[in-house]
Amino acid sequence: MYGSLDISTSGMIAQRDRMTAISANIANRNSVMPDGTPYRARRVHFAPGDPTATSKQARQWGVHVSQVEIDQSPLNMRHDPSSPFAMRSGLHQGYVLESNVNPVVEQVNAIQAARAYEANAVAAESSKQMAAQALRLLVG
Amino acid sequence: MIQELANAGALPVLEKSLRFAAARQRILVHNIANSDTPDYRPLELSVDGFQSELRRAIAARDREGSEGRGAGPDRALEFQRTRELDVLEDGSITARPRTPSGNILYHDRNNRDTERMMQDLAENNLAYRTTVELMRRENDTLRIAITQRP
Repeated sequence: MYGSLDISTSGMIAQRDRMTAISANIANRNSVMPDGTPYRARRVHFAPGDPTATSKQARQWGVHVSQVEIDQSPLNMRHDPSSPFAMRSGLHQGYVLESNVNPVVEQVNAIQAARAYEANAVAAESSKQMAAQALRLLVG
Repeated sequence: MIQELANAGALPVLEKSLRFAAARQRILVHNIANSDTPDYRPLELSVDGFQSELRRAIAARDREGSEGRGAGPDRALEFQRTRELDVLEDGSITARPRTPSGNILYHDRNNRDTERMMQDLAENNLAYRTTVELMRRENDTLRIAITQRP
Protein backbone atom coordinates (compact mmCIF):
# COMPACT_ATOMS: atom_id res chain seq x y z
CA MET A 1 0.00 0.00 0.00
CA TYR A 2 2.81 2.41 0.82
CA GLY A 3 4.26 1.54 -2.58
CA SER A 4 1.04 2.78 -4.23
CA LEU A 5 1.28 6.08 -2.35
CA ASP A 6 4.89 6.52 -3.49
CA ILE A 7 3.85 5.95 -7.10
CA SER A 8 1.06 8.54 -6.92
CA THR A 9 3.43 10.99 -5.24
CA SER A 10 5.98 10.54 -8.04
CA GLY A 11 3.19 11.29 -10.52
CA MET A 12 2.22 14.46 -8.64
CA ILE A 13 5.84 15.62 -8.45
CA ALA A 14 6.31 15.05 -12.20
CA GLN A 15 3.15 16.98 -13.05
CA ARG A 16 4.18 19.80 -10.73
CA ASP A 17 7.56 20.02 -12.47
CA ARG A 18 5.73 20.21 -15.78
CA MET A 19 3.50 22.97 -14.42
CA THR A 20 6.62 24.85 -13.29
CA ALA A 21 7.99 24.71 -16.84
CA ILE A 22 4.66 25.91 -18.26
CA SER A 23 4.57 28.84 -15.79
CA ALA A 24 8.16 29.71 -16.73
CA ASN A 25 7.24 29.64 -20.42
CA ILE A 26 4.31 32.00 -19.94
CA ALA A 27 6.27 34.32 -17.62
CA ASN A 28 9.21 34.50 -20.03
CA ARG A 29 7.23 35.06 -23.15
CA ASN A 30 8.84 38.45 -23.70
CA SER A 31 12.23 37.67 -22.16
CA VAL A 32 15.57 37.95 -23.89
CA MET A 33 18.36 35.62 -22.82
CA PRO A 34 21.73 37.13 -21.63
CA ASP A 35 23.25 36.37 -25.06
CA GLY A 36 20.60 38.49 -26.79
CA THR A 37 18.55 35.60 -28.24
CA PRO A 38 14.88 35.34 -27.34
CA TYR A 39 13.67 32.84 -24.74
CA ARG A 40 12.77 29.42 -26.14
CA ALA A 41 9.93 27.36 -24.66
CA ARG A 42 10.84 24.51 -22.30
CA ARG A 43 9.19 21.12 -22.81
CA VAL A 44 9.14 18.57 -19.99
CA HIS A 45 9.33 14.87 -20.97
CA PHE A 46 8.32 12.00 -18.73
CA ALA A 47 9.56 8.41 -18.54
CA PRO A 48 8.29 5.49 -16.46
CA GLY A 49 10.17 4.48 -13.31
CA ASP A 50 11.45 6.51 -10.37
CA PRO A 51 15.28 6.67 -10.14
CA THR A 52 15.09 8.44 -6.75
CA ALA A 53 13.42 5.44 -5.07
CA THR A 54 15.55 3.69 -2.47
CA SER A 55 14.95 0.05 -3.43
CA LYS A 56 15.55 -1.66 -6.76
CA GLN A 57 12.00 -3.02 -6.64
CA ALA A 58 10.53 0.47 -6.23
CA ARG A 59 12.61 2.04 -9.01
CA GLN A 60 10.56 0.33 -11.73
CA TRP A 61 7.33 1.97 -10.54
CA GLY A 62 6.13 5.54 -10.82
CA VAL A 63 7.14 8.28 -13.22
CA HIS A 64 9.92 10.86 -13.43
CA VAL A 65 10.99 13.79 -15.59
CA SER A 66 13.49 12.30 -18.04
CA GLN A 67 14.53 15.55 -19.69
CA VAL A 68 13.65 19.19 -20.12
CA GLU A 69 13.93 19.94 -23.81
CA ILE A 70 14.43 23.43 -25.22
CA ASP A 71 11.93 23.88 -28.02
CA GLN A 72 13.84 24.41 -31.31
CA SER A 73 10.80 25.35 -33.37
CA PRO A 74 11.06 28.66 -35.33
CA LEU A 75 10.92 31.89 -33.33
CA ASN A 76 8.13 34.41 -33.82
CA MET A 77 8.81 37.70 -35.56
CA ARG A 78 7.34 41.10 -34.80
CA HIS A 79 7.76 44.26 -36.90
CA ASP A 80 9.35 46.91 -34.66
CA PRO A 81 12.10 48.88 -36.45
CA SER A 82 12.66 51.15 -33.42
CA SER A 83 13.72 48.26 -31.17
CA PRO A 84 17.45 47.91 -30.44
CA PHE A 85 17.06 44.17 -31.22
CA ALA A 86 15.56 44.80 -34.69
CA MET A 87 17.38 43.23 -37.62
CA ARG A 88 19.39 45.86 -39.50
CA SER A 89 19.56 44.16 -42.89
CA GLY A 90 18.35 41.19 -44.90
CA LEU A 91 14.96 39.83 -45.78
CA HIS A 92 13.51 40.49 -42.30
CA GLN A 93 14.85 44.00 -41.88
CA GLY A 94 13.03 45.85 -39.09
CA TYR A 95 11.72 42.67 -37.49
CA VAL A 96 12.44 41.60 -33.92
CA LEU A 97 12.80 37.91 -33.06
CA GLU A 98 10.50 36.89 -30.23
CA SER A 99 10.20 33.76 -28.12
CA ASN A 100 8.40 30.75 -29.60
CA VAL A 101 6.08 30.41 -26.60
CA ASN A 102 2.51 29.94 -27.78
CA PRO A 103 0.19 31.02 -24.95
CA VAL A 104 -2.68 28.87 -26.24
CA VAL A 105 -0.53 25.74 -26.27
CA GLU A 106 0.78 26.57 -22.80
CA GLN A 107 -2.76 27.04 -21.45
CA VAL A 108 -3.88 23.71 -22.88
CA ASN A 109 -0.80 21.99 -21.42
CA ALA A 110 -1.47 23.65 -18.07
CA ILE A 111 -5.03 22.28 -18.02
CA GLN A 112 -3.76 18.82 -18.93
CA ALA A 113 -1.10 18.93 -16.19
CA ALA A 114 -3.65 20.11 -13.63
CA ARG A 115 -6.04 17.29 -14.53
CA ALA A 116 -3.28 14.68 -14.45
CA TYR A 117 -2.21 16.02 -11.04
CA GLU A 118 -5.81 15.68 -9.88
CA ALA A 119 -6.02 12.09 -11.15
CA ASN A 120 -2.87 11.24 -9.18
CA ALA A 121 -4.31 12.92 -6.08
CA VAL A 122 -7.49 10.85 -6.43
CA ALA A 123 -5.41 7.68 -6.83
CA ALA A 124 -3.41 8.57 -3.70
CA GLU A 125 -6.66 9.16 -1.83
CA SER A 126 -7.90 5.74 -2.94
CA SER A 127 -4.70 4.02 -1.74
CA LYS A 128 -4.94 5.92 1.54
CA GLN A 129 -8.53 4.77 2.04
CA MET A 130 -7.50 1.18 1.42
CA ALA A 131 -4.69 1.42 3.98
CA ALA A 132 -7.13 2.93 6.49
CA GLN A 133 -9.57 0.09 5.82
CA ALA A 134 -6.86 -2.48 6.48
CA LEU A 135 -5.98 -0.72 9.74
CA ARG A 136 -9.61 -1.08 10.85
CA LEU A 137 -8.95 -4.83 11.10
CA LEU A 138 -6.87 -4.08 14.19
CA VAL A 139 -9.66 -2.11 15.88
CA GLY A 140 -12.02 -4.38 17.79
CA MET B 1 -5.56 -24.22 17.76
CA ILE B 2 -5.48 -20.50 17.00
CA GLN B 3 -3.13 -21.32 14.11
CA GLU B 4 -5.78 -23.62 12.61
CA LEU B 5 -8.45 -20.96 13.04
CA ALA B 6 -6.42 -18.44 11.08
CA ASN B 7 -5.30 -20.87 8.35
CA ALA B 8 -8.62 -22.56 7.66
CA GLY B 9 -11.90 -21.82 5.96
CA ALA B 10 -12.44 -18.47 4.28
CA LEU B 11 -9.59 -16.49 5.86
CA PRO B 12 -6.80 -17.68 3.52
CA VAL B 13 -9.07 -16.94 0.54
CA LEU B 14 -9.72 -13.43 1.84
CA GLU B 15 -6.03 -12.94 2.55
CA LYS B 16 -5.12 -13.86 -1.04
CA SER B 17 -7.83 -11.55 -2.40
CA LEU B 18 -6.48 -8.73 -0.26
CA ARG B 19 -2.93 -9.26 -1.46
CA PHE B 20 -4.11 -9.38 -5.06
CA ALA B 21 -6.09 -6.15 -4.69
CA ALA B 22 -3.03 -4.46 -3.18
CA ALA B 23 -0.82 -5.69 -6.03
CA ARG B 24 -3.37 -4.52 -8.59
CA GLN B 25 -3.70 -1.14 -6.91
CA ARG B 26 0.02 -0.58 -7.43
CA ILE B 27 -0.37 -1.28 -11.15
CA LEU B 28 -3.46 0.92 -11.58
CA VAL B 29 -1.79 3.78 -9.75
CA HIS B 30 1.33 3.31 -11.91
CA ASN B 31 -0.84 3.64 -15.02
CA ILE B 32 -2.38 6.88 -13.73
CA ALA B 33 1.05 8.30 -12.85
CA ASN B 34 2.21 7.52 -16.40
CA SER B 35 -0.86 8.90 -18.18
CA ASP B 36 1.34 11.58 -19.83
CA THR B 37 4.43 9.47 -20.51
CA PRO B 38 5.30 9.09 -24.20
CA ASP B 39 5.51 5.50 -25.51
CA TYR B 40 3.97 4.12 -22.31
CA ARG B 41 1.40 1.31 -22.61
CA PRO B 42 -0.83 0.79 -19.57
CA LEU B 43 -0.26 -2.44 -17.61
CA GLU B 44 -3.04 -4.74 -16.52
CA LEU B 45 -3.47 -7.56 -14.03
CA SER B 46 -6.42 -9.74 -14.98
CA VAL B 47 -9.00 -10.13 -12.21
CA ASP B 48 -10.49 -13.11 -14.06
CA GLY B 49 -7.08 -14.80 -14.16
CA PHE B 50 -6.66 -14.41 -10.41
CA GLN B 51 -10.20 -15.54 -9.63
CA SER B 52 -9.97 -18.65 -11.79
CA GLU B 53 -6.68 -19.60 -10.07
CA LEU B 54 -8.31 -18.92 -6.69
CA ARG B 55 -11.27 -21.09 -7.70
CA ARG B 56 -8.92 -23.88 -8.75
CA ALA B 57 -6.94 -23.66 -5.49
CA ILE B 58 -10.13 -23.83 -3.38
CA ALA B 59 -11.46 -26.77 -5.40
CA ALA B 60 -8.12 -28.59 -5.06
CA ARG B 61 -8.12 -28.00 -1.29
CA ASP B 62 -11.68 -29.30 -0.91
CA ARG B 63 -10.98 -32.31 -3.14
CA GLU B 64 -7.88 -33.32 -1.18
CA GLY B 65 -9.94 -33.01 1.98
CA SER B 66 -12.66 -35.32 0.69
CA GLU B 67 -10.02 -37.85 -0.41
CA GLY B 68 -8.80 -38.01 3.16
CA ARG B 69 -5.49 -36.25 2.55
CA GLY B 70 -5.37 -33.38 5.01
CA ALA B 71 -8.52 -32.04 6.56
CA GLY B 72 -10.33 -30.42 3.66
CA PRO B 73 -11.11 -26.77 4.25
CA ASP B 74 -8.66 -26.76 7.15
CA ARG B 75 -5.64 -26.95 4.85
CA ALA B 76 -3.82 -23.96 3.52
CA LEU B 77 -4.50 -22.78 -0.02
CA GLU B 78 -1.87 -23.75 -2.57
CA PHE B 79 -1.51 -21.45 -5.54
CA GLN B 80 0.20 -22.45 -8.73
CA ARG B 81 2.39 -20.10 -10.68
CA THR B 82 0.33 -18.61 -13.51
CA ARG B 83 1.28 -16.39 -16.42
CA GLU B 84 0.67 -13.26 -14.35
CA LEU B 85 0.95 -14.22 -10.72
CA ASP B 86 3.66 -15.77 -8.59
CA VAL B 87 2.67 -16.70 -5.06
CA LEU B 88 5.78 -16.91 -2.91
CA GLU B 89 6.47 -19.13 0.11
CA ASP B 90 5.33 -16.46 2.59
CA GLY B 91 2.05 -15.95 0.69
CA SER B 92 3.02 -12.65 -0.92
CA ILE B 93 2.10 -12.14 -4.56
CA THR B 94 4.51 -11.09 -7.29
CA ALA B 95 2.76 -9.81 -10.39
CA ARG B 96 3.93 -9.91 -13.98
CA PRO B 97 1.44 -7.54 -15.58
CA ARG B 98 0.53 -7.68 -19.26
CA THR B 99 0.20 -4.75 -21.63
CA PRO B 100 -3.09 -5.27 -23.44
CA SER B 101 -3.28 -3.24 -26.62
CA GLY B 102 -6.71 -1.70 -26.35
CA ASN B 103 -7.83 1.82 -27.22
CA ILE B 104 -6.30 4.12 -29.81
CA LEU B 105 -2.76 5.47 -29.68
CA TYR B 106 -2.45 9.17 -28.98
CA HIS B 107 0.16 11.33 -30.65
CA ASP B 108 2.64 10.58 -27.90
CA ARG B 109 2.20 6.83 -28.66
CA ASN B 110 0.44 6.27 -25.32
CA ASN B 111 -2.92 4.49 -25.42
CA ARG B 112 -4.24 5.74 -22.08
CA ASP B 113 -7.94 5.50 -21.29
CA THR B 114 -8.58 7.80 -18.33
CA GLU B 115 -12.19 6.77 -17.73
CA ARG B 116 -11.28 3.08 -17.73
CA MET B 117 -8.34 3.72 -15.38
CA MET B 118 -10.50 5.59 -12.87
CA GLN B 119 -13.23 2.94 -13.09
CA ASP B 120 -10.71 0.16 -12.42
CA LEU B 121 -9.35 2.16 -9.49
CA ALA B 122 -12.82 2.57 -7.96
CA GLU B 123 -13.65 -1.11 -8.51
CA ASN B 124 -10.39 -2.24 -6.98
CA ASN B 125 -10.97 0.03 -3.99
CA LEU B 126 -14.44 -1.51 -3.50
CA ALA B 127 -13.09 -5.05 -3.85
CA TYR B 128 -10.46 -4.31 -1.21
CA ARG B 129 -13.02 -2.73 1.11
CA THR B 130 -15.40 -5.68 0.70
CA THR B 131 -12.64 -8.15 1.49
CA VAL B 132 -11.58 -6.22 4.60
CA GLU B 133 -15.21 -6.06 5.73
CA LEU B 134 -15.63 -9.83 5.26
CA MET B 135 -12.42 -10.38 7.26
CA ARG B 136 -13.79 -8.20 10.05
CA ARG B 137 -17.00 -10.25 10.13
CA GLU B 138 -14.94 -13.45 10.30
CA ASN B 139 -12.93 -12.04 13.20
CA ASP B 140 -16.13 -10.88 14.94
CA THR B 141 -17.55 -14.41 14.69
CA LEU B 142 -14.38 -15.81 16.22
CA ARG B 143 -14.50 -13.24 19.00
CA ILE B 144 -18.13 -14.13 19.78
CA ALA B 145 -17.16 -17.80 19.95
CA ILE B 146 -14.26 -17.02 22.30
CA THR B 147 -16.07 -14.64 24.62
CA GLN B 148 -19.32 -16.62 24.34
CA ARG B 149 -21.43 -13.49 24.03
CA PRO B 150 -22.40 -11.43 21.01
